[in-house]
Formats: sequence, C-alpha cells, structure tokens
Amino acid sequence: MKPVITFALMTLRNLLRRRTIWGISIVILIALFGIGQIPSYGVSNEGRFILDFGLFGLEIGALLLAIGLASNIYPRDKEKKTVMPVIAVPLSRGQYLMGRFLGAAIVEAAAMLVGCVGLMVILVMNGHNVPVDMLPATGLLLVEGWFLLAVVFFFSFWTSPPLNAPLTVLLFIVSQMSVAGFVKLFPQAPDLMRTLRLILPHMDVFHIKDPIAHGIDIPGMYFFLAMLYGLAYMAFMLSLALAVFRNRDLK
Amino acid sequence: MKLTLAFLISALLLFPACRTDYDIQEVANPQHLGTDHSDDCDDCEPEGAEHTEVDHEHDADTAETDLPQDESDEHNASVISGSDRHVHDAGQRNHGTGWFFNQPWAASFIWGKMVRDSLILLVLSAAILVVSGYLRKRRR
Repeated sequence: MKPVITFALMTLRNLLRRRTIWGISIVILIALFGIGQIPSYGVSNEGRFILDFGLFGLEIGALLLAIGLASNIYPRDKEKKTVMPVIAVPLSRGQYLMGRFLGAAIVEAAAMLVGCVGLMVILVMNGHNVPVDMLPATGLLLVEGWFLLAVVFFFSFWTSPPLNAPLTVLLFIVSQMSVAGFVKLFPQAPDLMRTLRLILPHMDVFHIKDPIAHGIDIPGMYFFLAMLYGLAYMAFMLSLALAVFRNRDLK
Repeated sequence: MKLTLAFLISALLLFPACRTDYDIQEVANPQHLGTDHSDDCDDCEPEGAEHTEVDHEHDADTAETDLPQDESDEHNASVISGSDRHVHDAGQRNHGTGWFFNQPWAASFIWGKMVRDSLILLVLSAAILVVSGYLRKRRR
C-alpha cells in the first residue's frame, strides 16, 4: 500500500502543477458566483434557485474535472516513456493505476470541497440558510465524480484523449436516462438496449438537489446506499480499466 | 479476456433477478407513480394546463373509484370554496409532483435493488481482477 500512496502523492503534486485543474476550478467558482447574482424577480425563497443551480454546477464541474484531470495522464506517461521505468520494477500495473487514480481523486475531492464552500458562502452572502444536507449532497456528487474519473481512466487506456472526452460525456448523458428513454434511442432492439442500460449506472441516484432545495429531509440510510452504489460502480470501472491496461503492450 | 468478460456478463444476465432494472417507472406500484390520477394518459391535457370544475366532474365520473379518499375530499373542498382550480398541500404527492417523489431518494422500494446492484458489481470487479491477473501470469 505504501508504494501506492507515495505514487498517489507524486501524482497529486504533478496534477497541481498543471494549469488545467486551476482553470476548471476557477470556472466553477465564477459560475457559482454568477448563479448567486441571478435576480429573484420577486419570487420568494430565491435560495432554492441558487442551491439547485449551484449543485447542478458542481455536478458539471465534477464531470469537467474528471476529464481534465485523467484523460491525459496515461497518454502523457506513455508518450514521455515515464510509464516504462515506473512499472518496470517498483510498481505493478495495478499499483500504477491505483496511484494515479488516488492522486486525481484527492484533487477532485479538494476541488469539490472548495466548490461546496463557495456555494455556502454565496448562499450566506445572499441572506439564505445553508441546508444541513449540503455536505452529504456534495459527497454524493463527489462519488459520481470519482466514478467518472474511473470511466476516464478506462477510456484513456484504449482511446486517444480527444475521443476520451466525448465518450465520457456520452456515458454521462445516457446514464441520466430512464430505461424507457434509453430503449427509445434504438427501439428496433429493445432487449439489447435494456441489457446495455442494465450495465450503465443510474446517475439520478446521486441527485438530491431537489429535496434539499425544498427543505425535505433525506434518510441517512439513503446516503449510505447511494455512496455504496457509486463506489461499487467505481470499483467495477477501475477493474475493467486494469484488465485493459494489463493487456496493453507498452513497447 | 473478451470471452471471459462475455461469459461473466452473460452469466449475470441469466439470473432473472439481475435482469430487472430498477427504473422507478417500471417497478413502482401504480399508487406510487400516481397513475390513479390519469397522469400517464397521452390523450390528457398538456402538462401545466389548469383543471376546471368540468374536469373535476369528469374525474368524478370516470375515476372516482380509483382515487384515494383524501384526494376526493380535496377535490370537493376546492369546489366548495368556489375556486376554479383545486389546490394541493405543499410538499404532498399529487399528480403534479409525481416526478419529484419518483426520484430514488424518495422511492425506498428500489433501495434493495441498489444494494443488489452494488454487490453484483463488487463481485464482478473481483472476478475481473482475478481473471485478468491469471491471464496475464499465463501469458508470461
């Protein structure tokens, strides 16, 4: 485990030196600031809109961060040949993947936390209360972001970076669809579409902005189950990514 | 590798319980979906259209037996009050807020399926790791 943590910290420093993470984080904060400036037009409880749009902004931010952080890691390592000495002796391929993933996951967690605090500040500045479930809601979006991170790693082992982003966005979009909606995309083969949808995650599990914005309590058990669900999908995608990576010829 | 993956996914899909997705629209009972208020009817009025007293009379004729008692009372109350629209209590499930309460956090009957999916995915992950590791060792 120690080599993985060391490599994860190395990845963390490496990612923090890149401008991508700072650029995306600044864009998220600017978007949140913009959301805070939306006039209420006399509608009571304007905080609902700020919260709703703000959490949606954080979700999109998690997607952008996942793509921005992870889509270039392996291709860059391969291009610069740094992956060869790293996995030659000190690290196995599994440890390489885990180290890279952990480093990126820490950066994503930090960025989401900053976004959450930013949203809280905007709510307070506009004279609204900060809901109790704000942090757990951000936690669920973070788990969604980690799953997307695993997806980006999976795609990065067998596609080019320009193709990685659209594929991840496509998966993100279809994962939001209901089974009936997904089958309608290709109604000629309903069984195939249902099977495909069964494999894809249900992203609506991570969306609790509506009840939070309307002040409805969410059972604590739900947070636990949703976290478990997201982490299980993340583990599944990482294992698929590792299986692909183990098959790759790095020469 | 591809064969192994295909085998694993096929085995997973052979289990009838695993073939059931947990799309709320498909697995919820009609009461939870609020279909007893004819929301899913394609020929009904468009979303957002206001219900009138005439609509209420129509509802009463056609679907009175399907309506829960409290909703029927609600309809009568709105008629008695003289309003041309009926009003629901805030935060309550009704034909206009069905979408809100049909989200996973509110549909506790799918939580078991979420656990089921999580366990299957964890088992699949372990299986993929073991099989891909074994195949890699054998190639060496």
